[in-house]
Amino acid sequence: MRIVVSIDDTDNINSRGTGDLAAMLAEIIENGGLGTADAITRHQLLIHEDIPYTSHNSCMCFSASIKDECLDDFIIQAADFLENESAPGSDPGLCVVDLDSLKYCDELIAFGFNAKKIVLNKEKAYQLAHKIEVHLSEHGGTGDGIIGALAGAGLRISGNDGRMRGRIKDCKPGEVFRVEEIVKRSIVELVVSTDGYVLKNEEMVAMGEVVKTVLLEGRQVLLVTPASSESSAPWQTCTKTYLKKY
Amino acid sequence: MTRINALQEDVFTDNQSLALKAFLCPQFKLDDEDELVAEEERSCLNCRYRRWTVESFECMKKLG
Repeated sequence: MRIVVSIDDTDNINSRGTGDLAAMLAEIIENGGLGTADAITRHQLLIHEDIPYTSHNSCMCFSASIKDECLDDFIIQAADFLENESAPGSDPGLCVVDLDSLKYCDELIAFGFNAKKIVLNKEKAYQLAHKIEVHLSEHGGTGDGIIGALAGAGLRISGNDGRMRGRIKDCKPGEVFRVEEIVKRSIVELVVSTDGYVLKNEEMVAMGEVVKTVLLEGRQVLLVTPASSESSAPWQTCTKTYLKKY
Repeated sequence: MTRINALQEDVFTDNQSLALKAFLCPQFKLDDEDELVAEEERSCLNCRYRRWTVESFECMKKLG
């Protein structure tokens, strides 16, 4: 079965980030023989004075394929994990969505995008989770992390939000690659310009300092912009500053 | 918790200034890779102790 796992509010200012815990949850699936996990995405939620958050108000998600009979066991393990590993003072939330039986997918996605624009609360999150029959649970503190966890699941399922955790490491700044090489040797599925042009296999791209992908149309997309006149390629990867908006 | 500067937008866009502040700051701690947004690695914008706000960010370490 296909699932989406989303967690939020597991850290404090001095602890490991939520991304690290998401990676460890993915390892529980893979190392425990429960299934295979996909790349982790980071989703930015609303910054607002009425929302408690550590420093960025982002949540972390990944999709996975697991054996049907392992779902309940995984949720129990994930809950225990969050209770043991989340930082003191945090308010962790866990959402697990069974994609094969998900109802009212549009409402979950709308909740996700709303969480980027307006202040939501736990009551609304639980109401929706109950209606669409997804797992949503709190594991310490105020449990407010369930709001971001549910929102993150919706954003991940939308396929059009967030940037992938980590960076593409098999390249150095200034190196130039053909698009087909980039796709062949990395997680990148498409190379697309910031105004939506999908680059062809033979086009050349210069790598920047940090090469990261974003989630667009359900694909891991490497965003590029026209390069400066001094560049050895017509395209260059986007800067961290530009990717902040994803 | 101290705001870096009352003129938040000016500070936010002055990357050179933020890089210099971070260079001189004994409290600077690089945030997770996924939270880095400034090209200059050592910048207040990439610090674990900056907290994003609606308009800009706050420094969670007193800078004096």
